[in-house]
Amino acid sequence: MRYLMRRSFHGVLLLVAVSVLCFLFSDLAPGSFLDEMKLNPQISPQTSTALRAQYGLDQPLAVRYLRWVESVTHGEWGYSFAYNLPVSSLLPIRARNTLALTLAATVLAWAIAIPLGIWSAYRNGRWEDRFTMGATSFLLSVPELVFAIGLLFLAVRTHALPAGGMQSLDAERFGLWQKTVDLGRHLAVPVTALVLASLPILVRHVRASMIEVLDMPFISAARGCGIGEAKLLLTYAFPAAANPLISLFGLSVAGLLSGSLLVEAITGWPGLGPLLLEAAMSRDLYIVIGIVMLSTIFTIAGTLLADVMLVVADPRVRAE
Amino acid sequence: MLFTNNCNPAQLRHGARGTIVSRACLLCLLFAYGLTGFAAVPQPPQRGEDLLLTDNQGGRYGGTLVVAQRTEPKSLNPVTAADAPSREVIGRLMADLIHINRVSQQTEPALAKSWSMSKDGRTFTIRLRHGLRFSDGQPFDADDVVFSFQLYLDEKIHSPQRDLLIIGGKPIEVKKLDQYTVRFTLAQPYAAAERLFDSLAIMPRHLLARPYQEGKFVQAWTLASSPDEIAGMGPFRMKSYVPGQKLVLERNPYYWKMDQNKNRLPYLDELVFLSVGNEDAQMLRFVAGDTDIISRVGAENYALLSREASSRGTELFDLGPSLEYNFLVFNLNDLKSKNLDRLAAKQAWFQELKFRQAVSAAIDREGIVKLVYAGRGAPLWGNVSPSNKYWVDQSLPHPPRSVETARRLLREAGFSWRPDGQLLDRSGQPVEFSIVTSSSNAQRMKMATIIQDDLSNLGMNVHVVPLEFRALIDRVFQTYDYEASIMGLGGGDADPNPEMNVWLSTGSTHIWHLGESKPATDWESQIDQLMQKQMLALKYSERKHLYDQVQEIIGANLPCIFLATPDILIGAKKSLANFKPAVLEPNTLWNVEGLYFAQEIQASALSR
Amino acid sequence: MKGKRKLVIAAVFLVSLHVAILCAGFVAPYSPTVQNRDFAFAPPTRIHLVDSRGSWHWRPFVYDWEPRPNAIYEYEESRSGRRPVHFFVRGAEYTVAGIFSSNLHLFGVDAPAQLFLVGTDNYGRDQFSRVLYGGQISVAAGLLATLTSLLLGLLIGCVSGFYGGWVDESAMRCVEIFLVLPWLYLLLAVRAFLPLHITPVHAFLLLVGVIGTIGWARPARLVRGIVLSVKTRKYVIASRGFGASDTYILRRHILPETYGVLLTQAALLVPQYIVAEVALSYFGLGLSEPLPSWGNLLASLQQYNVLVSCWWMFAPALALVLISFGYHEVANAFHEQLQSGST
Repeated sequence: MRYLMRRSFHGVLLLVAVSVLCFLFSDLAPGSFLDEMKLNPQISPQTSTALRAQYGLDQPLAVRYLRWVESVTHGEWGYSFAYNLPVSSLLPIRARNTLALTLAATVLAWAIAIPLGIWSAYRNGRWEDRFTMGATSFLLSVPELVFAIGLLFLAVRTHALPAGGMQSLDAERFGLWQKTVDLGRHLAVPVTALVLASLPILVRHVRASMIEVLDMPFISAARGCGIGEAKLLLTYAFPAAANPLISLFGLSVAGLLSGSLLVEAITGWPGLGPLLLEAAMSRDLYIVIGIVMLSTIFTIAGTLLADVMLVVADPRVRAE
Repeated sequence: MLFTNNCNPAQLRHGARGTIVSRACLLCLLFAYGLTGFAAVPQPPQRGEDLLLTDNQGGRYGGTLVVAQRTEPKSLNPVTAADAPSREVIGRLMADLIHINRVSQQTEPALAKSWSMSKDGRTFTIRLRHGLRFSDGQPFDADDVVFSFQLYLDEKIHSPQRDLLIIGGKPIEVKKLDQYTVRFTLAQPYAAAERLFDSLAIMPRHLLARPYQEGKFVQAWTLASSPDEIAGMGPFRMKSYVPGQKLVLERNPYYWKMDQNKNRLPYLDELVFLSVGNEDAQMLRFVAGDTDIISRVGAENYALLSREASSRGTELFDLGPSLEYNFLVFNLNDLKSKNLDRLAAKQAWFQELKFRQAVSAAIDREGIVKLVYAGRGAPLWGNVSPSNKYWVDQSLPHPPRSVETARRLLREAGFSWRPDGQLLDRSGQPVEFSIVTSSSNAQRMKMATIIQDDLSNLGMNVHVVPLEFRALIDRVFQTYDYEASIMGLGGGDADPNPEMNVWLSTGSTHIWHLGESKPATDWESQIDQLMQKQMLALKYSERKHLYDQVQEIIGANLPCIFLATPDILIGAKKSLANFKPAVLEPNTLWNVEGLYFAQEIQASALSR
Repeated sequence: MKGKRKLVIAAVFLVSLHVAILCAGFVAPYSPTVQNRDFAFAPPTRIHLVDSRGSWHWRPFVYDWEPRPNAIYEYEESRSGRRPVHFFVRGAEYTVAGIFSSNLHLFGVDAPAQLFLVGTDNYGRDQFSRVLYGGQISVAAGLLATLTSLLLGLLIGCVSGFYGGWVDESAMRCVEIFLVLPWLYLLLAVRAFLPLHITPVHAFLLLVGVIGTIGWARPARLVRGIVLSVKTRKYVIASRGFGASDTYILRRHILPETYGVLLTQAALLVPQYIVAEVALSYFGLGLSEPLPSWGNLLASLQQYNVLVSCWWMFAPALALVLISFGYHEVANAFHEQLQSGST
């Protein structure tokens, strides 16, 4: 319990530190939100300057930060320059959409990677293993974006799946079952792209870890005792191999909000990704900070989960 | 199912009182929705309603038009919204007094039935149509016009369009003469005064007066506003918004245009804006049939689409060169106040006219059109695109590419070559400079690579430096820390007046030499005088003559080395009738009220 | 000795790939920056042994590509003349490792014919040459960046896991900050502070530095997990009982346990970092035109029309697959050697 309290306190400190760093970094980056107006011959510099003052962009960093903190206490989390809306109204729906995507992808990736990695380790050196390793090498060498576009292209060519987005145009009129099916069809392409991108890493780690464990004396001993291969792999070998996998799992949870940025942008999935990319490019600062704060919370939760699981799963680790 | 599970206004407004009120509104709306049915039905013409007769005919009611946008709209407030997707949506919700026909590029009456200009060109009297109503049924009259201009001119709101209305240093004066007549007074005569009114939306006083008085106008008409708070005179009205996905507009039942058979326009039931991502994703949606129109396609994608066009039931249009112009600009700013000495040494080269002429002679413009625009574009030697038929100077010389001419010019300017081919200046320094360009614009990056290769034939060592867009703007407009840059401007209106600030020496977009308090060179002061004169001149032929001279001076002095312009490439479903894409923006939706689906399949959408 | 044989085979394969890349000037028929503007996106030149009349030639030959009129990026073979492929020809000058220059090329055809083994890119530049030259920078940058990341991760993970307490807490909070920060702004700021033109050497070092510094977080957490588990094992405690110092325990007992994770990460990170250059180039931190790197070669695949019609642009991905497969096999074999050596 004490441990959890301490970690939560650290988490809050971390949130504050990240918010300060965010502000600092954004100040260092060249350019500001109103720069696009400079290219427009029909807008005068006076209007540009006046708008800067209206948005508070000409204030010193500390003043802007304190104003933002005040806005957080009111539950608004700052105002978006582009939308003229409080950030807290823009994020929840997008975050929900992103989580739907990344949770599905993470669950699927782990569900495939663990059996595949175990089997590949079991068949170490044989053609099944070679083939898996060759496939993972290929998947690693192709950028994620190319997967996304390639899959979309295939989906469109075969008319099997929608060409992007989260719902069909007339989805409002669907019944519950039809809506679920529709959502599933739209999830197919982005989830596949994400799974293909993260699978090689997971498979390789599972395999490497299992190979190490399978070489250990206690496995040969267990085999000698007549324990069947399946039981051996799953209940003896796998838990011993779980250490790096738990750390990876924690990192998976940490990346739930931020890992799908590019795929969302390409497939038009209405999550945090396109919002963050656009806000970062247009220097819509408070949206970026809001999303970074959300990601921080997930990261804290992910590493905490991993640390707790490490203690629980591996009795050789003692928490201090 | 208007917007309950997608963008609940109750969640987005502050305060408990707001929640109860908005829940009541929700119930009323659901009730009203139930009454009116799925689509907003066009209201029969009332007595005294002065509808505009268009030449559309033969259209059938029904159908949903789906259009893709690269990013979603940010705001529905016509006075503060500055980004392109928002303006595209707002343009369909609102109407203006005098409108520029995108095909003929001339003005035509809109909400204004007729207008007259005084002899001295300073006073405009506009007579409005009678009996028109906003999309919520409330009447429209001169009070709304006066109120709208008050919003645009308000000094605390800082609308980006306010500067348009400042002529001769003073804002336009707006005065209501009677219920349907308004007078505008300008501080000095302005030839293109009519064109000013295009895209200045007329807003409903009955909805916006209160937020304005309370000082909350900037927060009005955001994406979180409920549809009943938004009303306009455009062909469509707001229906629903799903964050990150789509914005749905429905027919305005009180729209003031009718077709030849006295049917009230628009034909379409709904207009949906899908937010799609980037151009490649847009392609995929169009190919899949999700969207009905694709605009501003790249040339390679265009070739891909045209190969399969007939089998997919789509049609492709190449409208010829756009109005935008891409150019290479050298840093000719006054750098004394900045700490940029190494740059100052290089400016000696850039300021030499023969140097710029040599660079211009060595650039392979045909190669740029071929490799960057896949042949669908036009090379440029001036700032006016060949498709701008009213303003392009036909007699402007188009010298062909010639590396020998370039070398000769450099020799005359005192440059020489090392045995290994490297170009040296008078003092023996190797000529080396970098071209910055936006990393998100693939076409300009390609142009930079081609120019780098072309200039290596002259022995110049050119580096291509891609920068993130805003970092680029910061360097070009703020710190002046760059050597050369490839940028693009234009595409707004055909008339030269919106571009004043590019060519006037004191202008804010006088990119090569910003912050001039007086013209730095003779030819710049010549351009200043000519531009001022053409702004005041009232006859087209006189303005054209003056502007021709401006183009010639620009061509002779090369402050910018013009490169090329892409063609406007558009695709649409064959079943979309009355589709007349234009070179001016909005290329495809400017006549959305006259568009309809010709096939049987689309009309049955109404019966769903 | 099967394991040793596997290691040798894998090592030979990898070394020959690297030699080919190092001697890119010799193996590639053209310079990577020469533009042939009439042959943009030309498909790979077909090599024939049998000509149109059906007679067999011992020396392989090619036909010229001719652009199809009124179409872009479409070409057909002109049957007009046979262009035989010669070996050990004289061509453009190049230098090997900056020291030794020559103009001898492994193969080529007489001008004006062109031999595009893997087609051309947007400007008509020979992809085969660009992939070979690009490998020089990409493989080196990928390796160095991976080395940096792993070293940093190993250091921080070991110290953090071994000492525990507040050292661990603060190190892990640092990891979390690294995972969460909006690197975009920092990268933009870094670019703004750099001079306009970054020489290729500096760009290379920058790539290595940036990628290596951002990427240490994951290896650090993985290593820490292993260290936490290992440090409580009986033999470590016994070692302590015998008076072993911290460094001895770290070096002798804990470090070997991390090799599995480190080698796996190494094999994973090299290709990932090579591909990461694509993202960096949006900030202007990648390698600039006209120099090729596998990252910026693969970037063109993000365009729909290239992805769909120009399959030969996947060549850098193929090269990357070969290299990463090679590294993986070597890492695997090495790991097995270590394991069999220790049991």
